[in-house]
Amino acid sequence: MSGLTLDKVTKSFGGAQVIHGADLAIQPGEFVVFVGPSGCGKSTLLRMIAGLEQISSGTLTIGGKVMNDVNPAERGVGMVFQSYALYPHLTVAENMGFSLRVAGRPLAERMARVRDVAETLQLGALLDRRPAQLSGGQRQRVAIGRVLVRQPGVFLFDEPLSNLDAELRVSMRIEIARLHRQLGATIVYVTHDQTEAMTLADRIVVLRAGRIEQVGAPLELYRNPANTFVAGFIGSPKMNLIPAEVVGSAAGRSLLALPSLGGAQVELPQPAPEGAKVTLGIRPEHFSATGTAGFTLNIDVIEHLGAESFAYGSRSDGGTVILAAKGRDDLIPGQPAETRFDPAQALLFAEDGRRLVV
Amino acid sequence: MALRHAGANPARGNAMAYAILSLISAYCAVPFFWAFLASVDGNASLFLKWPEDWTAANYTKVFLVEDGATWFFNSVVVVGCVTLLVMVLGGLGGYALSRTQAWWKRPFLYLILLIRVVPPPALIVPLYKVLLLANGAMQSLMRAVLPADWYRPAMRIFGFVDGYLGIILILTAMQLPLALWILKTFFDTVSKDYDEAALLDGASLTQRIRLVMLPLALPGLAAAGLFAFISAWGDFLMPLIFISSPELQMLPLGLFRAFLRVNTVDYGFLTALAVLYMIPSVVAFGLARRFLVQTFGGGVKG
Repeated sequence: MSGLTLDKVTKSFGGAQVIHGADLAIQPGEFVVFVGPSGCGKSTLLRMIAGLEQISSGTLTIGGKVMNDVNPAERGVGMVFQSYALYPHLTVAENMGFSLRVAGRPLAERMARVRDVAETLQLGALLDRRPAQLSGGQRQRVAIGRVLVRQPGVFLFDEPLSNLDAELRVSMRIEIARLHRQLGATIVYVTHDQTEAMTLADRIVVLRAGRIEQVGAPLELYRNPANTFVAGFIGSPKMNLIPAEVVGSAAGRSLLALPSLGGAQVELPQPAPEGAKVTLGIRPEHFSATGTAGFTLNIDVIEHLGAESFAYGSRSDGGTVILAAKGRDDLIPGQPAETRFDPAQALLFAEDGRRLVV
Repeated sequence: MALRHAGANPARGNAMAYAILSLISAYCAVPFFWAFLASVDGNASLFLKWPEDWTAANYTKVFLVEDGATWFFNSVVVVGCVTLLVMVLGGLGGYALSRTQAWWKRPFLYLILLIRVVPPPALIVPLYKVLLLANGAMQSLMRAVLPADWYRPAMRIFGFVDGYLGIILILTAMQLPLALWILKTFFDTVSKDYDEAALLDGASLTQRIRLVMLPLALPGLAAAGLFAFISAWGDFLMPLIFISSPELQMLPLGLFRAFLRVNTVDYGFLTALAVLYMIPSVVAFGLARRFLVQTFGGGVKG
């Protein structure tokens, strides 16, 4: 179990810079998830930690040692690939013991270690099978087992669940969380799925276009996103980001006009420069019948998911407003409805997307 | 489609199809059948007939009276080395060509294909010139380092003209482009994740090749090796030009020279030789077929 730091780490392919000065410190035993849309550089960053991509500049340390130019195998990291990359010509046991075999360890030691790990992962009965004879979830476990056998200081997961069906994804997610608790291992985990990030991470690193947008605990990012990108990316359904204009500001309060919602005005208990164009962020679940601020919204659709319901209304600029509709009989598709929210829970963002801090 | 259009009666359509296919098969099989019958006929002729006097004498003649054993041995050694070299060089080269991102990759791949495009007879003169020069150098080297009575046998092996080395290198060069293309394309389909997983597992380059890439590449290697073997085994022109010593003679030339003999043509002997000549190709195909259809799956997601 080792910690890991990135100090102004960059990556360029030819002339194109794809990682722009990433700074990050990961504590030993921490579960950190890199999340972001495709092409944001999260996998590249992970591969740089693994040693599969060169670091163009900056410093990577693992367990306190600079690892920029150290061989992947000697960095004390193990990686679970998105494709699993199990050697198809080897059995499960041979796959798991491969690293010990190439290190020249005796067969008895290899088998003992493999059996140990197989027991942890409930793979004992499958040791003589080949990867082709396994289900997706079993392959996933073997891929994890292969890394476990090496006892690395840091585990790297590159979108490990994206090839599994929805049901299996949930159970593997729980299994990975359990494994983390059991081993106390340092884990760096890449995903584009914010639900995976929210449920697994001690801390989430949100990336966009090669830059770290925000780092924080899941609920911290949820409650205090640093900008509209993080606000929109974390949370499901997405936070409503409604264009607004500050029409009045006094004594730590501000009055916003919402041109895309019929010019409705809402008062927020936080200051904002008068005349500024801002973005009002409201989570769907923060709408309620009892809120003190509100506007009229044309309801288009109501989705009933069972435990939750969401209503979708349209703005005049083509955007959508999503609100939690559980137990709201007053929301009827095709009809306007008065929607209210608690202004204390609303967030304000400046025109460039950055959060206006209270 | 043909079957479906055969008419309202599918059984009749099937019968027609089988009849036609049988005819075509018979047409293809007759020469082989004739060759086999004639080879065991003590009184073989140019015509297809049932042997009246079954005998293995034609086969024993190949080995005991004629130099068949030498021709066979030479062909097996030369073509075996060619196949092995093509598989090793094609495998390593194909792997490298598949993984590299260099700008010269495409031009290089098309360039080596030119070797296959140029008609081999057009290459004879320049090739002979080059090899003669190399042979001269090899002769000087052998004279300098070897005792006089080792010189001749050494040149048999290491000579570029009228030696094993020369004919092996030429045939390898002729077969390599296709093998590189086959294996480059094959390795393109082998996920890079295997390389990277093995790298992270601590495998050295040779371990990665031996323990991971080689087993994964078997179907591709089998295909490339099979094509190289069949093509080199059947090559007539290069042995004709570059081999002159009777003791280095290979099978196609032995067959050809037996056919050219001035006195009457011995069909029994010729067909026995032809049957023997065919066997390794068939065996090679039989061996490689297993690997050709064997596809590993399941290591990475489908």
